Amino acid sequence: MEDLTNIPQFTINLFGINLVFNTETLIMTWIVMLLLILFGFLATRKISFIPNPFQVVAELFVQTFYDLTKDALDEKMVKKYFPLICSLFMFLLLSNWLGILPKLSEPTKDLNTTLGLGVMGFFIAHHAGIKKKGFKVYAKAYFEPIFFMAPLNIIGELAKVVSISFRLYGNILGGAIIILVVSHLIYSLVLPPFLILFFSLFIGTIQAFVFTMLTLVYISVQVK
Amino acid sequence: MLSNIVTITNLASYAGAGLCIGLGAIGAALGEGYTAGLANHAISQKSKKSGDIIKNMLVGQAIAETAAIFALVIAILLLFVKMPSTSILKAAALFGAGICMGFGAIGSGVGSGFPGGEACLGIARQPVMAGRLTTNMLIGSAVCQTPAIFSMVVALMLMFMDFSKMPVSPTWAALIGAGISTGLAAIGSGFGGGKAAGASCEGIARQPESIAQVTTTMLVGQAVSQTPAIFGLLVSFILMFKTFPEAVALNASMALLGAGICMGFGGVGPGIGNGLTAESAVRWVSRNMRATGELTRIMLVGQAVSQSTAIYAMVISLVLIFVV
Repeated sequence: MEDLTNIPQFTINLFGINLVFNTETLIMTWIVMLLLILFGFLATRKISFIPNPFQVVAELFVQTFYDLTKDALDEKMVKKYFPLICSLFMFLLLSNWLGILPKLSEPTKDLNTTLGLGVMGFFIAHHAGIKKKGFKVYAKAYFEPIFFMAPLNIIGELAKVVSISFRLYGNILGGAIIILVVSHLIYSLVLPPFLILFFSLFIGTIQAFVFTMLTLVYISVQVK
Repeated sequence: MLSNIVTITNLASYAGAGLCIGLGAIGAALGEGYTAGLANHAISQKSKKSGDIIKNMLVGQAIAETAAIFALVIAILLLFVKMPSTSILKAAALFGAGICMGFGAIGSGVGSGFPGGEACLGIARQPVMAGRLTTNMLIGSAVCQTPAIFSMVVALMLMFMDFSKMPVSPTWAALIGAGISTGLAAIGSGFGGGKAAGASCEGIARQPESIAQVTTTMLVGQAVSQTPAIFGLLVSFILMFKTFPEAVALNASMALLGAGICMGFGGVGPGIGNGLTAESAVRWVSRNMRATGELTRIMLVGQAVSQSTAIYAMVISLVLIFVV
């Protein structure tokens, strides 16, 4: 039960500012990135008409997310934003699944990861909006329907970041805590594999998809 | 017995955990039942598509379950995490966290059931659109989960922030008030957002070409119906972060508690009302795509009027915080 509050950290003092790093999250994020790079390498090494297994999986991801992006954005922007959307999903999927391996844990269990990705999505969406519509039209949207709604609209935009990142964080952390507590109570007999099946694989996949789709929707709302 | 501070803190965290998961289980169960019911209806209409419908039902129920999972996480944290300091203030904060997450999960749990059920019916009606319907359902029910997430944020802050430098006497009431404010205000917004998402799934099944307009109208409508929950969140933040002067008399404490209760109950009605407006607007956008602009405008005006009652509640609670 001590695992719940124990977060491995190391601190670097840089010009009087303490920089705190969550070691476990960093290592797990690097593992996910290395696995993805390896996957990308294997999938594109020998591209052929008769694909190897990795190429099949990669084509599946690319095709699915290309179609989804095409539904939400127009032709010119699809080219630009589809790589982001597809790789965001692959990163999140692998991150959420990482906990099924012993000794490893999900980097998305840490609020810093999800909040970072949420803030990234926020800036990309607003940058896309300003670029597409021009700053004047973009800023005018905050004064709809009536001018004094502006503070509320701004809070609403910031609340989107909070909700998207806490949704992923809460779900993944929740799954991890439930698996931990139940395993502790029943001495890891029988039940944990099924819990992992449900929380890591099923909920993890759905939440990765939801996060990706919401990022895409936020971009498409800004550019319309 | 109760004079012992540790006992009081334990009492608060156990009572908070019980309320949290007890209340939090209500909504998700209702929502999942609704989804399963409509899935049965859908299968009876088109039994050949039962595989797609069951898959969609399970995904929808998993999303609706999220609200209850949040409540379970907070309850487990309340039970097992040892707090570094024990004081009356910490006890109040823990109890407030339990109430906040418990009430906050009700609305979103019920609400996320609507899109799940309507998407099942939609697949029976328009089997070609199964993939699009599931995607739309996921987006809609994820957005209607936002109020529950606000409650979780407030609950986590109440549990882990350090209040020990604040004066005990009015702050204990402020912390419980902060929990009540977001928790109750989230009920209406979660329910309302779910209504809008449900109508969008029905609309896409009815008129597949209208998918872009329907999704946009749904998101706008849900964003506006989330405003009462954001009011609740604002009042909670003010109650948590403002340092109140020490006051031994009870009236200052009661004013702060009243501020939370006022904003909490005041947010329930407007949240549901705005959701109903958004539901109808989305439904009619799908039937008459050309009138999308006009329908959206009327929806926003109507929602602004029905939101005025939430603004009254917020004004009164701000008066209670800053003036009384």
